[in-house]
Amino acid sequence: MPEDNPADEDVLHRAAIDRSVRLPVLFFFTSAAAWLAVSVVLGFIQSMKLHSPGFLDFPCLHFLQYGRSNPAFMGALVYGWAIQAGLGVCIWLMARLCRAEIKNPITLIVAGHFWNIGVLLGVLGIFTGHSTSIEWLAFPKAVWPILFVAYSLVVVWLFTLFQRRKPGEVYISVLYILGACLWFPWIYLTANVFIHVLPGSPIAKAATSAWYLGSMTYLVLAPMALASAYYFIPKILGRPIYSSYLSTLGFWGLAIVGGWTGIQKFMGGPLPAWMPAVSGAAVIFAIIPVCAIAVNHHMTLRGQHKLIESSPTMRFTAVGAAAFTFYCVFSALNAFYPLGALTQLSQTTMAFQLLAVYGFFSMCMFGAIYFIVPRLVGCEWVSGRRIRFHFWFSTYGMISLVAVHFLGGLWQSHAYAQFDVPLENAISAGRPYAIGASVAWVFIIASNVMFLYHLSLMVFRLGRKSEQPAMIGHADHTG
Amino acid sequence: MNSLRQFVLCLAATFFVPWLCLIVIPHVKMAKAVAPETWVNQDLGTSQSFPPGTPNAFRRGQEIYAAEGCASCHTQMIRPTYLGLESWRPGFGKEGTIEAPVRTRETVPGDYAGERFAYLGVQRIGPDLSNAGYRHDAAWHHAHLYEPTSVRGFSTMGSFRHLYIKRKIRGQRSADALELSGEFDPGEGYEVVPSETAKALVSYLMTLKKDSPLPPATTPIDASQDAGEDVKKG
Ligand code: HEC
Repeated sequence: MPEDNPADEDVLHRAAIDRSVRLPVLFFFTSAAAWLAVSVVLGFIQSMKLHSPGFLDFPCLHFLQYGRSNPAFMGALVYGWAIQAGLGVCIWLMARLCRAEIKNPITLIVAGHFWNIGVLLGVLGIFTGHSTSIEWLAFPKAVWPILFVAYSLVVVWLFTLFQRRKPGEVYISVLYILGACLWFPWIYLTANVFIHVLPGSPIAKAATSAWYLGSMTYLVLAPMALASAYYFIPKILGRPIYSSYLSTLGFWGLAIVGGWTGIQKFMGGPLPAWMPAVSGAAVIFAIIPVCAIAVNHHMTLRGQHKLIESSPTMRFTAVGAAAFTFYCVFSALNAFYPLGALTQLSQTTMAFQLLAVYGFFSMCMFGAIYFIVPRLVGCEWVSGRRIRFHFWFSTYGMISLVAVHFLGGLWQSHAYAQFDVPLENAISAGRPYAIGASVAWVFIIASNVMFLYHLSLMVFRLGRKSEQPAMIGHADHTG
Repeated sequence: MNSLRQFVLCLAATFFVPWLCLIVIPHVKMAKAVAPETWVNQDLGTSQSFPPGTPNAFRRGQEIYAAEGCASCHTQMIRPTYLGLESWRPGFGKEGTIEAPVRTRETVPGDYAGERFAYLGVQRIGPDLSNAGYRHDAAWHHAHLYEPTSVRGFSTMGSFRHLYIKRKIRGQRSADALELSGEFDPGEGYEVVPSETAKALVSYLMTLKKDSPLPPATTPIDASQDAGEDVKKG
């Protein structure tokens, strides 16, 4: 339980812990931020290519065509930005919650370098024509062992830190972090070995790739972001989580259903029909833990909603948590035929992936970064206005991006279903929405340029030297 | 959770079950199910087998299909009619009229036998390609890949010009040079020829006919004749 004990000794101890994790956490944050920059630019390019293939269509830039830029964008976003930001937050949270100064940050730095090299090779590999075209696994085959080893190093490190923790109850965030630690290597290894290494049925491989997406979202991205939400919401409010029973229920519920999700993507496809059916059921059952989590967060916040306005961390986390609930409810609705038939093979897929990775995960990470970085570099965010800008542009950008892709997908599938009209109708149905998506991308780029600029000021210690944290309203909190 | 070991065991147990059921068992079971089945077609009096087997051009072509990311825009999966009427439209290669369409059947696992990975697909920015082999000839595919708008003015597919070579005609014009007209004409004395990569890709596209007859027992009920009984088998 993150508790504020005003005793000086405690404050000093926390500061010492922060100092000890500074190097690795900042390393992960800055490299994640660099990948975020790459991925928003690629995101815009792939979005433009979707409706106007003539955009940037020079012979020397042929590799930017949608078929390569889209997987490259997803790779940079998920592995470059999301997982690295997640690891940075997990390392910091783990050190805080175990109340242990860390030793041996070099392991983390080495692992971080390997991870970045892996992602770089992956993205370059896609651009140079070695993509595997498998969603979220499009990096060339040779890359996955690098990523796997790098992540495993971090896992070993986090477990060692956990073993050195000060006695006391284990907080829910730690469970989520340990979960993400175990699940990712298992999921990633399974997917890559079964798809890339073992010979076998192409259909079973396709099912595995769909499962990979589901499991990654429910068992890797969600736990990392929830660990952060469970820490920061009570921390900033200065009161404990509403119900530890609901926390536990939410965690184990997610653990039980998470591994079954994903294959509903191919319902009606050439797989044994029970596979998508089971996944569909799992996505529907996931509503139970997700409600437990949402109610728990909401009840913790009750009466204190004003803090959402004043604290940047709170704001981003609240939007992220809301996006998570939204994502899970919509995934459940999609598991039913009438809606699923329209969404399963259309632009809506993009809407869901972006909602999960940007709307939910990244927003929680932004929140955490706004809290953590000042404590590592010893100065405050320069201006509340920039944070507000980042927040509003990200939120509106994301909402419109998800909305246009979602509606565009419905409309597009509807047009394809009319088999008696010319093909042209079906093709052009999705186009206006794709154009809308590019406009939304401009907002997201703007918001992230602001964020990256602000973050680099902090990293170069050009922030405000002040005791007062940057607030975007009037309330106050310290950490 | 009191001890780390207990926690890890519980976590592993909860994840092991779906892992076993959705990944390991299907992989083991499906790996065995590829042996082709042979039977005698009563109407034609010939022997047929399913899966029919894939030509050699296939593998290399599919690698290029993956490398170029065609799967980001195209699917290869025909769903049963209760999910969508996507197995026929005018110009989809198979005969038929709007009143009496001749539908290709929905895809079944055997259609993908011999592939490296079944590119069922992500989203349908372009049409489904499971049966693209019925629709066009190789020359059309080459012109289309070189410049999609040259054959379909409304196309939003990007050009794959980098798979083609533009060169000066030496002596005779090559037999496989693309027929391009209007603004896409390479100009007097020049020709555009497909590279080996483009040829492999197009031969792959020409093999895409995921519609070969199924052994009698597993033939799905023809949905176009009896829309009430869309039972999915297999
Ligand atoms: C940006 C998404 C996109 C990518 C990437 C893409 N296509 Fe397309 N494709 C389309 C669209 C849209 C159409 C429909 C308009 C047309 O025929 O050009 C289409 C049509 C086609 C058709 C004609 C289908 C028919 O029924 O007539 C073929 C064949 C095809 N694409 C093959 C490919 C191949 C091979 C690749 C990879 C080298 C590829 N496409 C990559 C969007 C894409």
